[in-house]
This record gives sequence, structure tokens and C-alpha cells, in this order.
Amino acid sequence: MIGNFIINGEKKEISYHSSDLLLTLLRDNGFTEVKEGCGQGDCGACLVLLAGKAVNSCQVLAASAVDMEITTVKGLGTIHEPHIIQRAFVEAGAVQCGFCTPGMIIAAYALLKKNPTPNEKEIKEGLDGNLCRCTGYEKIIDAVKLALKKDRAR
Amino acid sequence: MKEITWYFPSTLEEVPELLEKEGVFIHGGGTALLRSNLARVEGLIDLKALPLNYCRDREGVIEIGTSCTYRQVIEVLQKIDSNNILIRALSVAASTPLRNRITLGGSIAFFPVWSDLMGPLMVLEAEVTLIGSNKGSFPLVEYLKKREIRNRSLITGISFKKRELNSYYFRQSRTRFDYSAFSISILVKKSASPSGPGPASASMTSSGSPSASTIEEPAIVIVGCRNKFSRLSSLEDSLKNRSPADLQLKDIAGSLEVEFAAKKNYSPDYLKHLAAVELERALKAVLRS
Repeated sequence: MIGNFIINGEKKEISYHSSDLLLTLLRDNGFTEVKEGCGQGDCGACLVLLAGKAVNSCQVLAASAVDMEITTVKGLGTIHEPHIIQRAFVEAGAVQCGFCTPGMIIAAYALLKKNPTPNEKEIKEGLDGNLCRCTGYEKIIDAVKLALKKDRAR
Repeated sequence: MKEITWYFPSTLEEVPELLEKEGVFIHGGGTALLRSNLARVEGLIDLKALPLNYCRDREGVIEIGTSCTYRQVIEVLQKIDSNNILIRALSVAASTPLRNRITLGGSIAFFPVWSDLMGPLMVLEAEVTLIGSNKGSFPLVEYLKKREIRNRSLITGISFKKRELNSYYFRQSRTRFDYSAFSISILVKKSASPSGPGPASASMTSSGSPSASTIEEPAIVIVGCRNKFSRLSSLEDSLKNRSPADLQLKDIAGSLEVEFAAKKNYSPDYLKHLAAVELERALKAVLRS
């Protein structure tokens, strides 16, 4: 099958198999920042924004995402101009092995877009689909709070 | 890999013919499909372009389109029916990204044993509307029990009456994100007892305890038991027109007649004991609040 996908703002015509997952399509086409973790929608490593909403790309069949806007963590900021959340994750020490980080940042972005002033409980709820085996989550929650602070100070 | 044919109908009229094709399944969010075996799928009917993405209050009846995600249902119900038991149940189902993808129709058609949706829909006495070989509206329980209704049919919507009732929802799981071992859904209406204090003093008795009231329209469902779900009709009958203050809730819950199969980390006896304890707590919370 061939379909158009708008990935990180760029329209791309991509050939894919009818039973491919969105995760497979993205990784096979160079978007390896989308990580493959559990493959069951439990860990959140493969999170992307699909039409503005955070979804597990391992739980989405690629054919159902044709003509839709997909944003990966690389679509939020660049290495020279990182997004405020990306910067906050680095500054708060919320990145250790880094495998969960793209998904965490997408989840945090979706949360702050929907609720610009979340309390701690709401932050935890917003990140409830993301697992991290390194940090113990404290630093990640700190990072989201720091991003909030930075955003307010702008 | 086997090739799957995708169909993208833009009108409901196109769907019945597609449903007649061999090996064709419905694709809403896809989360249920991916948990079953894709090898038996010849074709998929994608619902994205169909007008089935609504959640509204139509003259006291809540109507939800089959393509509505859990997140959409939560957000809309918070505005139009803020005490609805579905808000509480769906808010604890799965995770934030999965709630953005799981659709109501898919959850009903798939009905996993860990469902956080079905118990609340059963106590709400929801109806499903179908097109295809069985066009019409059917009580949810009838839809679940009769395979011939489900075959070659598409759920287009779910509806239930909007009512002001006390509700309670509990899910048993070891961690927040774990699948639930069972869930308890309760809806009940309490009204001032005709033999109780007069209207002027109806809110509190002289001792300061809640005023005499009677239980009306109780509906209690356990999901996750051996028969997948069980409506506790005899318990409901025993509660009807009684005053909550007169009930021995421990005895009532202790006589729970629901059987469980063994599950990972739970024996049938343990599950039954847990369910009785949680049912007692649930009844206390909903009847004596």
C-alpha cells in the first residue's frame, strides 16, 4: 500500500504493508527516535502525537493513520533549539539510559497542551502510560514541573 | 505476511455489503484487534470517515457513537452528565495514550474480561444500535448473550437514559495499570421514606444520622467472574424499598453467589472473598453516603 503521512510537518508518501503498525512504518523510514519497547501499549516508549493526541504507535495500524499528522519527539525541537520540555528533562537529570525519554516527552507535551497548569497528581496521570526502569520517576516529574516553571517565566 | 484489504466507507449505507464479505472485521481504534489474531483477518472496515464520533444528550438520553474514544466520552460526559459512573470507570481504564485510542464500540464487541466499560454500561441498562444483518436497537445484555445478533453487524452507537443516581465503581487490580481481576458497578436511587420524617426534617434524624430513606432501582453488576459478568438480581431484589440503615451489609455481601475462575495471582476462593469484602464496602459507600 502507498499512503501520505504528515510526519513532523512534512508530507511524505510512504509504501507500507497492509498490516504494518505505525511504529514499524516510522522506524523503517528513519524515525528511530520512536522506540520499540513492549509492543503491547504498556510502556509508552513508542508514543507519538497522532492528530495532536498521544497514542502508542505500536497499537495503531499504519493504514488507519493515512493523511493524518504525526509528531515524534524530533518534531518538537531540534538539537540546537530544543523544546522547553526537552531542556527541562536534561536540566532536571530526568534522562538516564534515555530509552523512555522520547515517549515521556511526548506524554508531557500532550499533557501541557491540554492542561497548562497541572498539579502533581495530574502530571502523574498524564504520564501513567510511560514506564521508566532507571529514574524512579521523581526526576521526570521534577522535569515536567521545571518545564512548567520555564514556560511561565517566558 | 498476509495482505489485508482495507475499506474506508464514507456512508453507513456502504457498510452492510462490506460486512457480508468473508473474514472482514471492523477497525475502530484497533487496540482490540491487535490483541486478537490478525492472521484470520482478510479485510478491515475502517470507521474513521463515518459519522459515528458523537457523544450527546438528546432529550434525556445519552447517545454515544461507536467511534468515540474513552477520552472523548470522559470529556463530554463531564460537561453533560457529570455524575455518570462511566466517567469514573473510564478514567481508570488502561492509560492516557490508550484512552486516546480505545473506542466504545470496539470495547463492546471485544469485551475483554478486564473491561472497565461493560459493568457501568450494564447498570445503566444501555442499548446498542446495530446496522448490518441485524438492524435495530438491542439491550446490551441481549447483544452479548446472542451470537446471532452480533454476527455481521456493526455497532453504530450506545444509548442510555440520563438519570440522577448514586453510583459506585470499583476495580480490583494489584497496581493502577494492571488489568482488573474483577469490577463492581452499582447504581442506586435513594428517596425519602414515606414512613420516615416529614419533608421539613427529612435531611437528618434527631440523632444526627442520615435521614430515613428507601432504596429504589438498585442495579449491581460484577464483571470478571466465571460467567464473564453477573447481574446480582437477587441482591437487588433484597435491597428494593428497604432503608439503608436497616441492612446488615456484611451478611448481604457474605452471601454473594458469584463464582470466579482462577486468575494469575488469584485463586477462585480468594477472588470470591475479595469480591464479598469489596461489595460490602461498595454498598456502605453508595447506600450510606
